[in-house]
Amino acid sequence: MDHFPTNWGRPKYDSFDTHATYPIHNRGHAQSAASNGAVQHTHFSHSKSALRQPIVTGTSVLAIKYKDGIMMAADNLASYGSLARFKGVQRLHPVGDYTVVGASGDMSDFQYLQHILDGLVISEEANLQDGHTLGPAEIHEYLSQVMYQRRTKMDPLWNSLLVGGVKDGKRFLAFVDLLGVTYSASTLATGYGAYIAQPLLRKAVEGREDTLTEHEARTILEDALRVLFYRDARSINQYQIATITANGADISGSLKLETAWGFAEGIRGYGAQTQ
Amino acid sequence: MSIMDHNGGSVVAMAGKDCVAIASDLRLGAGAMTVAMNFEKIFPVTDRIYLGLTGLATDITTLRDRFRYLVNMFTIKESRSIEPSTFAHLVSSTLYSRRFGPYFTEPVLAGLERTPSGGFKPYIAGADLIGCLNFAEDFIVAGTASDKLFGVAEGLWEPDLGPEDLFETISQTLLNSVDRDAYSGWGAIVYIITPEKVITRTLKGRMD
Amino acid sequence: MPDMSAIANPQQRQFNPYAENGGTILAVAGADFTVIAGDTRQSEGYSIQTRYASKVFRLTDRAVLAVNGFAADGNMFVKKVKQRLEWYRHNHAKDMPLRSIARLIQTMLYAQRFFPYYVYNILGGIEEDGTGAVYSFDPVGSYEREACRAAGAAQSLLQPFLDNQIYFKNQTAARGYSHPAHLPLPDVLSIVIDSFTSATERHIEVGDGLEMYIVMAKGQTLPDAVTNLLPEELPSTGDGERVFVLKRDLKKD
Repeated sequence: MDHFPTNWGRPKYDSFDTHATYPIHNRGHAQSAASNGAVQHTHFSHSKSALRQPIVTGTSVLAIKYKDGIMMAADNLASYGSLARFKGVQRLHPVGDYTVVGASGDMSDFQYLQHILDGLVISEEANLQDGHTLGPAEIHEYLSQVMYQRRTKMDPLWNSLLVGGVKDGKRFLAFVDLLGVTYSASTLATGYGAYIAQPLLRKAVEGREDTLTEHEARTILEDALRVLFYRDARSINQYQIATITANGADISGSLKLETAWGFAEGIRGYGAQTQ
Repeated sequence: MSIMDHNGGSVVAMAGKDCVAIASDLRLGAGAMTVAMNFEKIFPVTDRIYLGLTGLATDITTLRDRFRYLVNMFTIKESRSIEPSTFAHLVSSTLYSRRFGPYFTEPVLAGLERTPSGGFKPYIAGADLIGCLNFAEDFIVAGTASDKLFGVAEGLWEPDLGPEDLFETISQTLLNSVDRDAYSGWGAIVYIITPEKVITRTLKGRMD
Repeated sequence: MPDMSAIANPQQRQFNPYAENGGTILAVAGADFTVIAGDTRQSEGYSIQTRYASKVFRLTDRAVLAVNGFAADGNMFVKKVKQRLEWYRHNHAKDMPLRSIARLIQTMLYAQRFFPYYVYNILGGIEEDGTGAVYSFDPVGSYEREACRAAGAAQSLLQPFLDNQIYFKNQTAARGYSHPAHLPLPDVLSIVIDSFTSATERHIEVGDGLEMYIVMAKGQTLPDAVTNLLPEELPSTGDGERVFVLKRDLKKD
């Protein structure tokens, strides 16, 4: 049985994928190996760890600080290579009462992390009376230790994560990725968002973290998501927004981005062609 | 290791007040081995233009001869000596003519440009190996110690230095930079170009 | 056109457990003080991840550690050093001396010889004899005590400048005079600020902010010229050495 979905339905000698786009995994090359007599590792001759790569992926997550707390946004798409495979996936995950974790990268690794985090919250409930509860800073520290340990084992969890929340009147927003690299800033974006959305977010937010209203923050994130939808081929126009304030975390239902394509008509090669 | 680093060597040029300076080390190497300590990399083009060439030694020699020929032809045809800004573009077009099989050298030039009023204006320029010109107001660096030269020059240089202060600045910049570079050093030579005269000084440097 | 190179040379994308997060650190030892500084930009490739991420950390009342290289390893290494120093405090009821911290760092780095922390460390502080000291390390633990050291992205820009300005290399003192073995604190701070301003100008990975930690030996007070810069004093456990932090903006472009 060939366990690699990208090999299904293809002739065995078709060693390259004509539709290949990152991150579809590299297929085996048993034939070429046999012909030149070189020792060729198959997918299973190595430890799984060195060969792992993301399969079903989520694209950018965006987050900003605003007056009342943190706002985080991610679309609902989980891609399989260039295929828009799952269109109703929630990539924002609440942890405890004060925190939301947003994930890009491999969705099965993210599901594993959700499982770990939910387990963590449950085990913390066992000693609620100690007066301590997990806030966003603790969740982020925990996650970064998990991510760093897995990278050190050469078996990374293939994600870039944003952790946002409010606890004891303090806003928290930080990043951690598959290498265990962490950082914090008033605007954060993963994946393509780091290139496309982050400049827009910084221009709109930096220096106004304490005055931006919820409505303004929402508009900023929606505008950034819209630009991403226009330019990131792995994005979709359905998204969710999480707001984390002193009143707790709230994750919206799936929302639709309003887009305008009128301009396409005037661009040759973009809209329907008349000549 | 890049072919640009094979022979080693560094050049720096700086603009001052009504003067410019250009300086180089004297090492010639073959990889890590030093083969000569008197390899000059700066050549006079006119009485007011000096050209420094870093990179592959054979190309330094070739280009030195080639520019001497080209400048002689210019002087004969035009019956005047070439100006630094004109020479900069001559350097650029000569290098670009070998765009897809370049001379492995980064030139630096320093000179005094004649102004319409009859005075002189400091002029320094540099180029990459295919002739992309860089006109800087402050200093130009090139060679295996270029990153060090950038750091020290950025710290020591200031505007409107007179000839003697400029000499001290460029000498300290070069000596301290090449002392941290295994491929440059073994003494240095400095030219200070003023409207009246060109001062040439040879510096003793660390020999290790 | 499909990518035929995939057939020509089959390859696996191997996971790279390291990244290079830019930035630069620097330390200078005086007679009775040490300055340990670092910029606050954290980057990967051409992207600035954040404009404020500290690379300089206080370990004890008389030891400050600057880490530069792969940020995840750097933070983990600082965490482990702090943990070892806490254990030492619990066992011996005193802070570990600076030279012992230096040796501890060597053993901790060398323990990872075959999967190294990709981090350049500079340890600064006050020695037991009251002198300022700087120890610099490579990623696998080679170390030496020095009077000044730069490391990181702009090391090659800064170290020759420090040779010239701190060690007076290539400078000859006037007849009958000699160069000072140690510079006073205000001079050192000026050189550190100039160094980072220069590095910011010419290196894309350096900028945004500058954090300078000043460790003063027991009984020493800050000169007025430095007090006027309004440094923040960090709380210390006793009446021994004191640690101050000075922050400056650097260009953000």
